[in-house]
Parts: sequence; structure tokens; C-alpha cells
Amino acid sequence: MVEMSKISKKLIAFLKPSDVSLKTDRRIQFVKTLVIAVISLSMFVMVWWGLSEWINTAFLPRPDIVFEAFIDSFQTADITTGRTMWDNIITSSIRVAWGFMLAFILAVPLGLMMGFSKTFESFSKPVVEVFRPIAPIAWAPLLLIAMGGIVGPIIVIFIGVFFPLLSNIIFGVRSIQPILIDAARTLGAKRSDMFIKVIIPSTVPYIMTGIRIGLGIGWMCVVAAEFLGAVGGGVGQYVQFKTEVNRFDQVFAGLIVFSILGLSTTELSGWVEKRVSKRMGLK
Amino acid sequence: MMLSIDKLRKTFPLEQGELVAIEEFTLKVDKGEFICILGPSGCGKTTILRIIAGLDNLSSGVISLNGKDIKGPGSDRGMVFQEFALFPWRSVRKNIEFGMELRKIPPKTRHEISQRLIELVGLEGFENAHPHELSGGMKQRVGIARALANEPEILLMDEPFGALDAQTRNLMQKELLRIWEETKKTVVFITHSVDEAVFLADRIVVMSERPSHITEIYEIPWKRPRDRSSMEFANLRKEILAKLEKMVKAD
Repeated sequence: MVEMSKISKKLIAFLKPSDVSLKTDRRIQFVKTLVIAVISLSMFVMVWWGLSEWINTAFLPRPDIVFEAFIDSFQTADITTGRTMWDNIITSSIRVAWGFMLAFILAVPLGLMMGFSKTFESFSKPVVEVFRPIAPIAWAPLLLIAMGGIVGPIIVIFIGVFFPLLSNIIFGVRSIQPILIDAARTLGAKRSDMFIKVIIPSTVPYIMTGIRIGLGIGWMCVVAAEFLGAVGGGVGQYVQFKTEVNRFDQVFAGLIVFSILGLSTTELSGWVEKRVSKRMGLK
Repeated sequence: MMLSIDKLRKTFPLEQGELVAIEEFTLKVDKGEFICILGPSGCGKTTILRIIAGLDNLSSGVISLNGKDIKGPGSDRGMVFQEFALFPWRSVRKNIEFGMELRKIPPKTRHEISQRLIELVGLEGFENAHPHELSGGMKQRVGIARALANEPEILLMDEPFGALDAQTRNLMQKELLRIWEETKKTVVFITHSVDEAVFLADRIVVMSERPSHITEIYEIPWKRPRDRSSMEFANLRKEILAKLEKMVKAD
């Protein structure tokens, strides 16, 4: 009871700061959004619960059973693989990080050059456009055989992240205000100065957007890559194994892990993106 | 004489033939002079300034600065833009130092010069602010300081106060005159405000509509600061306004 009153006091203080009313409005709005989100998620769980009772199939376990499997997957190592969910998350994260880093290292300079130089764009665009429509997952079987279970999945993720990142960077370079180019020219900027001191900084927010979108896609690609025979675990592999042994509660636990991982990386990079753009006074 | 524009002509290609934007524009500007170029919108005032800055090419004619032909932009001409054109990711100080960085001036000297300019344009306390944190008038103070940092021979100003409200505009005009008197720069100032031109200029160059040419040049020998409410100010303003109106009507 004491705890409760403390919390409610804090909540009231939070909702009713005595200073600016605009701030109060925003806080109320935030709490409102939060409450609605909680209601929406609870309703979702209820519908899921009802549906699983009604259909009564092993393919759709009840939320409480999934929740239990979810908690358990972190606490106890799997009997067949000897890995906990933590191990799988680390393995998958490292794959995403590698694939992402490769894509970043290649896409940034390439995108900047393609946006900046018409000649370079004419040269590289045909090749890029030929590869772009191919779904990254389509490469997976071949790459896994050709490059093995460790490098293969990384390359699949690389392909997935590369194109959205590249497009964003090219778009960023194109979006620069022409008047900034004019200003730099009147201040004595040569072509190389323009590239380093004007083009690159003004493209940073677009690179950040590319990172956010790219990371989201990276998490989708790692699933496919791990399904098709990656070596050394991973959340995708966990989901696949559990499907094979009909442990659908654990399958759903794996799906929830994917949701959390994807959501937290995009939220985090979105936050960084906002901070950087604000700091630089862009967008 | 420092800036010499001789028979400048600018045309733009059309599907059939060409559009003559500027015709027979000839003007000599002395060192330290304050010139306003005045004309109806779309008369190519900005184009002339951009050609002097080296941002646009001329179709024929000769422009030279201190006897040297102008080919492309250069740090001997500083430009101030109506839209400010500040680098949003750079602080006030870093914006001002941009040109000096390009000229490889050592950081210490750079800092000294930018400090002096910050004081000159009255931006003390805002050295580390970013452009989005500044008001329009302050942004243009940065714009002026940034252009001056390269120690240009001539300051080219393209409707620099056009985006400001009336009060800020009047204040900035006074500030500009103060800066001009302190730095003794030559100024070519584009405006469509007769009032502004009469308040600022040693000479007002009035341009016609397209194909634009110089219709009249007014010399204003009055000393500064000029009194907007004086008889002579009002009369000259009226005279020029009448001239501009006639031009637009004749169209």
C-alpha cells in the first residue's frame, strides 16, 4: 500500500508540473499514448489466447505457455545444442554486425561517389541495378554451399543491408541544397573540398536513416540465412530446430526474440539518428 | 576603379532561339563604393551578381576585378545570400572559419580572425550556436562575417535582408553601414526596395525588365546616417518609384 501511494504521488507529480502548460500537455499526451499502447497489446494477447483455446491446435500455443517457454529458453540450455537463448542471440547479433559492417564500409564511399560524380554513377549504376531486384534470401542456398555456414550467412545479410543503405546515401547527396554548394564555391571550395566539407556532412543524416533501415533488414536476412544451414546456432536456427521437433511454444518464443531484437535495434538507431540530425541542425 | 563590367550580355537557350536576360550592362565600380542595383523582380539583378561571383557564366562581355578577368568563383569576392546559405552542421564560429580552413590558415590565426569578426557583427555569446538556433537577422550577421573572413576585395550581397521583417531589416541596414565604414569594403548590393537603396547607396543602378539593361544611375552624395523622414529622401524615393512603376506599366 505504501508503495502504491508513493507511485501514484510520483505519477501525479509527473503529470502536473507547475511550470509550463505546454510541457504538461506533452506529458499527458505521452502517458495517454502509453496507456493506449498497453491496452492495445493486452487486447492482442487476449485475442491470441481466445484464438488458441478455440482452434485448439499445437501450432498455436497459448500465450502463457509461450511466455514460459520464452523465459525458460534463457535460463536453461537446450538439450540437443547445449545453447541458451543468450548464446543464440549473441551468434545472430555477431552475424548481423558483420554483414552490416561490410555493407556500411562498401555502401558509404560508393554511395557518396555515385551521388557526387555523374560519370561514376553512369559506370556503376547498371551493375547495381542488375543486382538490386534479387531478394537477398535468393542468394542464401548458393552462398551457404559456396562459402560455408559461417561466411555464407554474413554475405546474405551484407546483400540485404547494402542496397537500402546505398540508395539512402545517393539520395542524401542529391538532396543537398544547391545554395550551399554555391556558398562553398564563393568561399573558395574546390571539388575535393566540396566533397569532404559539404557533401559528406550534409549526407550524415541520410546515412543514419540508411543504418536504421539496413539494421531492420539485417535481422530479417539472418533468419533466412540461419534456416538454410548456418553453423554454430543463432535464433533462426533455434526456430527451425524447434519447428522440426514440434515444440511450437519454443518456436513462438524465438519469434518474440526476433521481434525484440529488431525493434530495439531500430529504436536505438532511430534515437541516435534523431540526436545526430539535431546536433548537426539538419532535417 | 576596381570592378569593371563591360557590355555584359547573358542569354539562356530556348527550344527556339534564345532568351536575352541581360543586355549591354556596363558599369564601373570604384574602390570602397557602395552600389545598389535596383529593379523589378525577374530583371536579372541576381544573375548579374552571380556572374560577378563567378557562379554563372556570361554569354559575352568582359568583367574584371582590379584588371584581372573573372573566371569562376574566387575568395577575392565574398557573397552574401538572401537565403543565408549557412552550413547547418557548423557552429557560428565554424561557419565563419569555413573559407579560412580552405585557405589552410592555421587554427590560431583562424580563431583570432573569427573572434574579431564575431565582435564586428555583434555575435558575442553565440559563437557555438548552430544556425537553426539563430533568428534571421543573426543568421545574416553570420553570412556577412563569413564572407568577410576571406578578406575579399568586394562584397556581393544578393537581397541580403529580403527574408527579414521590416524592423530587423532597418536595423541590419544600419549595422551593414557601420561594418562597411569599419572595413571600407566595396559593396554591390542587390535589392528591389527603393527605400533600402536610397538609405544605403553611393550610387543606385536602376534596371529595366527583360531584356534588362541600365535605365538610370542615381548618385547620392548625402552623408550617412540618412534621415528617412527628410524631404530629399522622400523626393528621391518618389522619383525612383515612379520610374519603376512606369517600367512595369509599359510592359
